[in-house]
Amino acid sequence: MLNWANFVSQLFNGLVSGALLALISAGLTIIYGTLGVLNLAHGALFMLGGYAGYVAFQETGSYVVAVIVGVLFVGVVGIILERVLIRYFYDRPDEDQILVTFGLGIVLVELVRVGFGSLAQMVPAPAWAAGITRLGFTIYPTYRLAAFGIVAVALLLLYLLLYRTRLGLTVRAGIEDATMVDALGINIQRTFMIVFGIGAMAAGFAGIINAPIISITPNVGDDILIQCFVVVVIGGVGSFAGAVIGGLIAGEIMSLTSMFNPAYSSVMLFAVMALVLVVRPQGLFGTR
Amino acid sequence: MITGRLTGWAAPVILAVILIIGPLVLPLIGANADMMSRILIWGLFGLGFDLLFGYTGLLSFGQSAFYGTGGFIAAYLLVSHRVGDVFLGLAIGTVGAAIVGLAVGLLALRRTGIYFAMITVAFAEMFFFLENSPLSAWTGGENGLPNVPKPAIHIGGFDYVFNTDWRMYGLIAVLFFVGFLIARRIVNSPFGHILTAIRDNPARASAVGHAIQRYKLAVFVIAAAYAGLAGGLSGVIQSYMAPDAFTFDTSGQLVMQTIIGGAGTLYGPLIGAAIWLYLRSALQIAGLGPAWKLVLGLVFVLLIVFLRRGIVGGVRDLAGRMRRTPADEIAPVTGPAAPALHLVEDHTATPPGARPVVLEARGLGKRYGGIVANADIDFAVKEGEIRGIIGPNGAGKSTFFKMLTGEIPPTTGRILLFGEDITGRGVTAISQMGLAKSYQINQLFQKLTVRQNLNIAALARTRGMFRLDLIRHVNQVPDLGNDVAETLRLVGLTDKADALVSELAYGEKRRLEIGLALGTGPRILLLDEPLAGMSPQERADTVRLLKQIGRTRTLVVVEHDMDALFGMADRITVFNEGRVLVEGTPGEIQGNARVQEAYLGGVHVA
Amino acid sequence: MTDKNKEKGVTRRSALLGGAGLLGATAIPALMPRLAFADDPAIGNYPVTGDSVFVGIDVPLTGTYADAGTDERKGIELAIEHLNNGDDLIKAISPKTTKGVLGKTVTSGAADEQAKADVAVQNATQFITNNKAQVVIGSVSSATAVALNHLAQDKKVLYLPGISGSNDTTGKDCTRYSFRECFYAYSASAALAPVLFKELGKSRKAAYLTPDYTYGHTVYESMTKFTEAGGWTTATNQLFPLGATDYSAYALNIANSGADTLVVIGFGNDAVNSIKQAKQFGLFDKMTLVVPYMSPFLVQQVGQDLMAGVYAGLDFYWDMGDKYPLAKQFVQKFEAKYGQKPEWGAEAGYMQIALWADAVETAGTFYPPKVIAAYEAEKKYADSLVGPVQWRAADHQLIRPVIVVKGKKPGDMKAKDDYYEVVDIVPGDGIMQAPDAFGCKLGDAT
Repeated sequence: MLNWANFVSQLFNGLVSGALLALISAGLTIIYGTLGVLNLAHGALFMLGGYAGYVAFQETGSYVVAVIVGVLFVGVVGIILERVLIRYFYDRPDEDQILVTFGLGIVLVELVRVGFGSLAQMVPAPAWAAGITRLGFTIYPTYRLAAFGIVAVALLLLYLLLYRTRLGLTVRAGIEDATMVDALGINIQRTFMIVFGIGAMAAGFAGIINAPIISITPNVGDDILIQCFVVVVIGGVGSFAGAVIGGLIAGEIMSLTSMFNPAYSSVMLFAVMALVLVVRPQGLFGTR
Repeated sequence: MITGRLTGWAAPVILAVILIIGPLVLPLIGANADMMSRILIWGLFGLGFDLLFGYTGLLSFGQSAFYGTGGFIAAYLLVSHRVGDVFLGLAIGTVGAAIVGLAVGLLALRRTGIYFAMITVAFAEMFFFLENSPLSAWTGGENGLPNVPKPAIHIGGFDYVFNTDWRMYGLIAVLFFVGFLIARRIVNSPFGHILTAIRDNPARASAVGHAIQRYKLAVFVIAAAYAGLAGGLSGVIQSYMAPDAFTFDTSGQLVMQTIIGGAGTLYGPLIGAAIWLYLRSALQIAGLGPAWKLVLGLVFVLLIVFLRRGIVGGVRDLAGRMRRTPADEIAPVTGPAAPALHLVEDHTATPPGARPVVLEARGLGKRYGGIVANADIDFAVKEGEIRGIIGPNGAGKSTFFKMLTGEIPPTTGRILLFGEDITGRGVTAISQMGLAKSYQINQLFQKLTVRQNLNIAALARTRGMFRLDLIRHVNQVPDLGNDVAETLRLVGLTDKADALVSELAYGEKRRLEIGLALGTGPRILLLDEPLAGMSPQERADTVRLLKQIGRTRTLVVVEHDMDALFGMADRITVFNEGRVLVEGTPGEIQGNARVQEAYLGGVHVA
Repeated sequence: MTDKNKEKGVTRRSALLGGAGLLGATAIPALMPRLAFADDPAIGNYPVTGDSVFVGIDVPLTGTYADAGTDERKGIELAIEHLNNGDDLIKAISPKTTKGVLGKTVTSGAADEQAKADVAVQNATQFITNNKAQVVIGSVSSATAVALNHLAQDKKVLYLPGISGSNDTTGKDCTRYSFRECFYAYSASAALAPVLFKELGKSRKAAYLTPDYTYGHTVYESMTKFTEAGGWTTATNQLFPLGATDYSAYALNIANSGADTLVVIGFGNDAVNSIKQAKQFGLFDKMTLVVPYMSPFLVQQVGQDLMAGVYAGLDFYWDMGDKYPLAKQFVQKFEAKYGQKPEWGAEAGYMQIALWADAVETAGTFYPPKVIAAYEAEKKYADSLVGPVQWRAADHQLIRPVIVVKGKKPGDMKAKDDYYEVVDIVPGDGIMQAPDAFGCKLGDAT
């Protein structure tokens, strides 16, 4: 079974699927890093992005419109959730934050189910990215390559936003010491709202980018959420770099394991997480 | 925990009555034996989870791993006829789940809070995949294991098979009742008290001398055992072990039921399960169809927002508001003051020079990256001495204290306690050796009463850093009542013994802070700014208290109130810029030019 | 929800909450087994008291299989309506039917089993205990069917699986109280193989995309057994975990395997995702897709263009030509009531109710052992929704045809729902294993 062509193509495939995981995990991790909230509704936001994009696509038939609408919709939902619910939980224990976002996730999923039913919905790949591309060592779906590019750009933008802007400075300072930032007269409440919105948008964006690859159902975010957990545990919670590297590692593990025994690809992922916990409990890029 | 609580035998009796009357009443509203048995199984599952989450504060989203493990071990053994007796199968399943819990706990408990929650999810997911595929030869994969036999009792010529729904209900009711009694004993045991301390303030629980990791692991294993038994019963009740046991939904449903019913109550999970299972059925009958889960999800979110303590918690708060009753805490035992507190002979008669050195630092230093917090500290305290430490802000006094107590490891140098090298031993072990610290910023167990706070400290002394005394009632711990009464008297909080920490005035909290350190029965007591924030009257009282304590203990006091400190200390060490500047008697220090310069210099810099 | 369903809901609520049930209902049959009902001893929920008889519909309404479950429920409820009205369609299968069953009105209730065996058992127990159900019906996964098979045997109440593809359901997990109507892994493969040889030739290299659980394994084994016997070779078998979403790694392995035929075994969303992604990887440019056991609503979820040219096995298809007048009638009546075409879960549900009614009418009693005996008489049904069928007494499997279809190109579709052309309808007698081949031991009726 092991031949070099297949190995190289799987290596490449791991990179592509890892990038998507990295983007979703980055959203999860910056929300946690800034607000101190582990958002268990993150998978539901991913799902919501797919559905928002699906509706927009049904209405307009345009992939670009679907992406924009999907992202903006989830961003707005994120901001509303932060304003009416999440913000009241900043001062409550970690456990309460986990529980409320967990409940929120269920409510979102079931709302979508009531509205759309459980059948899988389709968003086709745009015409310019249909078909397959020959890469020399392998053939690969053009849309996946496009998605990889789009996701890489999104990650880069997120990086620039976090490390090259005033907002990013505030966010990173807020991670260190929220009261200090507050004392300096920066509106940390507003920053929190924006960050939650951005984190939600990252998930929603990934959801709509992913929609042409996997079909969207109300439960599509469930497994993704758990994989994100593994990614941030491996990478280190709150670390942007950790989310990216962790995502890529996770993608490679699943892809490469499938060459030998596909059934074990998920189990291997959790096994590696356990290994990281033993060797470096704070995660590869974690400090705490 | 304080108000509206059923005490003594009232709770078990009422529970027993409900379990007996239930079959007569609940069918009126559409429940049947099968539904009631399932509610009890979820309740049993929830007892363990409540110990873990409600009492210890460890939120696991991975209990399905143990529920499934216990269930499938039992079912496999019974279905394959490797074990004939159902009860034996269940017992082996329970033990198996506990062993798996031990292994998972060792890894998952390396992290806390959200990390812990995520890791438990991931492990549970791993178990789901293992059950489904690699282990499917034993578990039946996605089809599960049918034909799990019914339990039966054979004693002599007497045979009794639990082959009807009501018989099964009876069996499960008995098992639940026993499970409940055990959980309740655990909650009321010294072990259980330490769990609540860990939930409230793990750092302090560890600092007063409890090996909290071992307690966490123990309760994790206990919760896994409960889950394993419940999982096994889930297979027995329906003659079929379902693979759904391992799904994330199982863990999620358990969490939601516990929250809805009320975490930290033991009854909560049962009530939550009753509501969940009944509503699921009733909402569907009401024509809601697939939307039933949406309704339950909304109920859950609303409860989290508005009634975090769930239904049982809400009822208790209500009952508590109507009548404030003293809780079933340890009654103060009247009698002679506990001699145990007086660990050290009164030294005031012995000349200071003749006493041994009890605490010593040699060349101690601490760096954080490029920043030097402490360097080259040589420091020695003799038995019975009251040592003051002063120095400008940022002189490294607090870091020095943290190294002495083992909260942080030094970068260089060694620490000797009673002549023994304790460098790097950790705060719990050092506390157990007889060195305690009261904190600059109060580190109390916020949700407990004053007495319970002091119990936690006293238990560290009487029980050592870890003991698995699950069944013993905390009242049965010898001398505990006396010890605590004595500490209460010393810190002047006897009148407030049953008040919650949140109800105390600031000065009282400060005294309790000192009491917590004192309660561990230390031979050496470190006090980090004990007078901070106190009124003049409180200062005077506290100084008097410290002097009294100092008669039988060695004290090291960091304090900015020079008058107070110079009035009680035998010797003073002055810190500056992370180093020892000078050391001497109060008189020597007062006239020292370098000290004045350090302080003035500090002012200039500031 | 339709008004009809609400009405049924109310019926069940009154049965639940009415209180008449309470202890009396539990006690009466137990204490007075032989008073009024003379001949037969009490067993399960026999004897039937009152003038109605209850059917418990136990299907997934949420979760992965929600839509297949909902479709199945519609078919069942239509059949019950037909029984109570004495509709011609149901009379064609159950000739003794007048109105209701044995003069009793059929009532029903539906509960969501969430595609979880555990919950399915719980619902069924509720139906049996509270509603005194004479029969429990429904499943979309074999796990559910297997669990309920055993529950039925335990409770001595009939259970009729809806959709269940595993050989085990009437194999090693068969029970005396359960009867399966639909096709399954073995019969699907046996029916499909000759058609595939004819259409695709005998020298194909097949790659398999198999969900790593019992259902997947049984279909894989059956398919390889039949195709390899005819000369096909198996290039690779990609096992994927249940519920996988990313199939890229498997798709690459298949692309590198040199196969020219892809057999997708996944069910529900697994099938949707694996087919979509196989397409994305360009696998269908040089491979033919075969779906031996096709889940309901697959084409609606992946799109017609992906299903064009695909060979698939089905229990029923709404357009099987003029040879099946009853099928046409069924489709018309279903569409009139629900405004959509029935999928095969609905057909399986309808058939099960009709065949049950016939068995009860033939037995002349609800007494389960006699109803079972009527089933086991192996009556030849000259016609049904899928033509002639017959029960097999030895394993309680219906001998029934498998519909082999080929996906139409989007341009060839004459109507919105015109997804497939029927390539062959393979009669049931030639595609079944020996009754004991999968270890069926039925157990006792009493």
